[in-house]
Amino acid sequence: MKKILELALGLITSVGGFLEIGSVTTAMQAGASFGYQLLWAILLGTVCLVFLVEMSGRLSAVSKHTIVDATRERFGFPFFFFVAVAMTIVSFLVLVAELGGIGLSLQVLTGIGFPWWAVFVSVAVWLLMWKGSFSLIENGASLLGLVTLSFVVAAVKMHPDWGSVAHGLLPTLASDNKAKYGFVAVSILGASISPYLMYFYSSGTIEDKWDESYIPMNRIIAGVGMSFGGILSMAVLVAAVLALQPRGIDVQKFEQAALLMTPALPKWGFVLFAFAMLFACLGAALEISLSIAYFFAQGFGWSWSEDLSPSKDARFCFVYTLIILLAAIPLVFGVDPIKVTTMSMALTAATLPLPIVPFLFLMNDPIYLGEHRNGWFSNSVVTIIILISFVLAIISIPLQIVGG
Amino acid sequence: MQLKALLAIPVLFLWACKQPTPAEQLDSALSWLATAGMAGDAWLRHTTPDRYTRETLELSRKTLEQIRGDLLKAPPSKVDAASLDGALTRSRRRIAQMAKLVEAKDSPAFATQLDSLRSDEKIVKQLDDSANAGQ
Amino acid sequence: MKLVRDVLDKKLCDREGCPMGRVSGLVMHVGEHSQPRVTHIQIGGTTLWMRIHPALAKLADTLSGVWGPKRKAPIRIPWSRVESVGRDIKLDVDAKETGAIDWEVWLAKHIIERIPGAGSEEEKKK
Repeated sequence: MKKILELALGLITSVGGFLEIGSVTTAMQAGASFGYQLLWAILLGTVCLVFLVEMSGRLSAVSKHTIVDATRERFGFPFFFFVAVAMTIVSFLVLVAELGGIGLSLQVLTGIGFPWWAVFVSVAVWLLMWKGSFSLIENGASLLGLVTLSFVVAAVKMHPDWGSVAHGLLPTLASDNKAKYGFVAVSILGASISPYLMYFYSSGTIEDKWDESYIPMNRIIAGVGMSFGGILSMAVLVAAVLALQPRGIDVQKFEQAALLMTPALPKWGFVLFAFAMLFACLGAALEISLSIAYFFAQGFGWSWSEDLSPSKDARFCFVYTLIILLAAIPLVFGVDPIKVTTMSMALTAATLPLPIVPFLFLMNDPIYLGEHRNGWFSNSVVTIIILISFVLAIISIPLQIVGG
Repeated sequence: MQLKALLAIPVLFLWACKQPTPAEQLDSALSWLATAGMAGDAWLRHTTPDRYTRETLELSRKTLEQIRGDLLKAPPSKVDAASLDGALTRSRRRIAQMAKLVEAKDSPAFATQLDSLRSDEKIVKQLDDSANAGQ
Repeated sequence: MKLVRDVLDKKLCDREGCPMGRVSGLVMHVGEHSQPRVTHIQIGGTTLWMRIHPALAKLADTLSGVWGPKRKAPIRIPWSRVESVGRDIKLDVDAKETGAIDWEVWLAKHIIERIPGAGSEEEKKK
């Protein structure tokens, strides 16, 4: 029974890591510009994530070492350092975008501009980490994240053409505007397969003290949790097809996105959208700041746990304190979070092989996993994901230039 | 080597922030006209707060103004620049008017302006269609 | 035991189980007549950055002179203190005395504990 409650870890990882400002805006752009055609990209991203998250959880539950620990130990410091540099830059940008997303949600609710909220928001997120325990963050954020289910309600209420939805799940090429189509597809994958999400989940299994007995549950949690995020993203895309595409609205600003649910849910659509985004971005902001702190603490062998009082893992707390304060700065100056989001997703895609390639080696390492090593099936999947990650890395920057 | 490659990425991104083409600008203008229309519609149905509506109308107006300026400098080929400019100028004024009417909570007058905005949007749409057909 | 696979970059814990960084380098004694053997484990700082580029090591060295706990000599733990080498390496030392967690203590004292609600690092021994 207790293990079933651990679903919260999957849900928060998913709501915070999957459904956040990046995937919502890209899903909306995809729906508004290309109809149901890009649903396959979300499906593909979800499938990749289910596998990667399951592996992160399995590795940590069996070896009591996180992906980051194992990466440093197996690949040495120089490789770890490159991953760290890429991870820090990308995660910082994503954090700016998420804090901005919280600010923008508050902006549409109150009419007070997001730069005014920036400092308040970052201090509030910091305070949650400073005072809160891991289970508070985990359960609180996943519970609040359930508001995002309103995307599904809105999408279903607008009566999508289910045949076209099913058709969209199969990859097709765009008939025109190929560069933009490619760019949005890459962004969707970049927004879905975020490395910080795996680092967070992997650390979460240690925080929640999982062991080998959790292996079957881990499979379910990874599957259910990530599918939850995938379905929500698809719902956003579907809602955008029905609400925005006929009107010819292409989402460039958050104000446009805020109208997504008003046709389907006249009374509550607007407020629900704002709260859904608020909580999704809050979950993401917590998850990313913690991931960065986990990353450094584990990589350098410091003590870390969200459940220790800050003075007992000073370096860990210092990292998230510093990064969250720095992330508020661009927002105070009014840098548009949506633009940061677009850039961060392309960058995630461009650096994707760095965090993904180690999986193939770590998941076959008998020292870490013993008999729970990957079988041929999981290995084939990882190999395919690695190939995808290389393709994404190579095409993301040129596509950003041509299609972004 | 790898470090240098990482450093090159931000530089590439700066380069990527290029100017959109006139055709893209026209699409963007249409998107913002539609945004003002949808926001107006939502306000009339009492689904969005006044402040948000005003801000969004303001944002549409400002963006349209900027796009109009850009299009004036580099008009898309095969488009009647004068009528495009006229339609964009008119709709910009209407959106400004709508923002004021939100403050006054004058729904009937707002609805009239919204209707006229819709017809201006149609004009721009037709211009866009004819430009695309000519290509 | 393969040194690079089983020792280098492994996490170190002191006798209380307190994490004290990772193995950044190994000191070998190569005698004329005897087999080469590992004499010390090195932790942190210059050794680590040296593995990427000497310039980074220099930079790290300069920066640590400006800010933080000032320590010149690298931290070396004699191999005789190694208790066991498993997934982590257990050492028969007290983390604080070795200087391996100087930064942790310094940050706790100078920054973290000054923020309300941080608790105190001293109660660690409980």
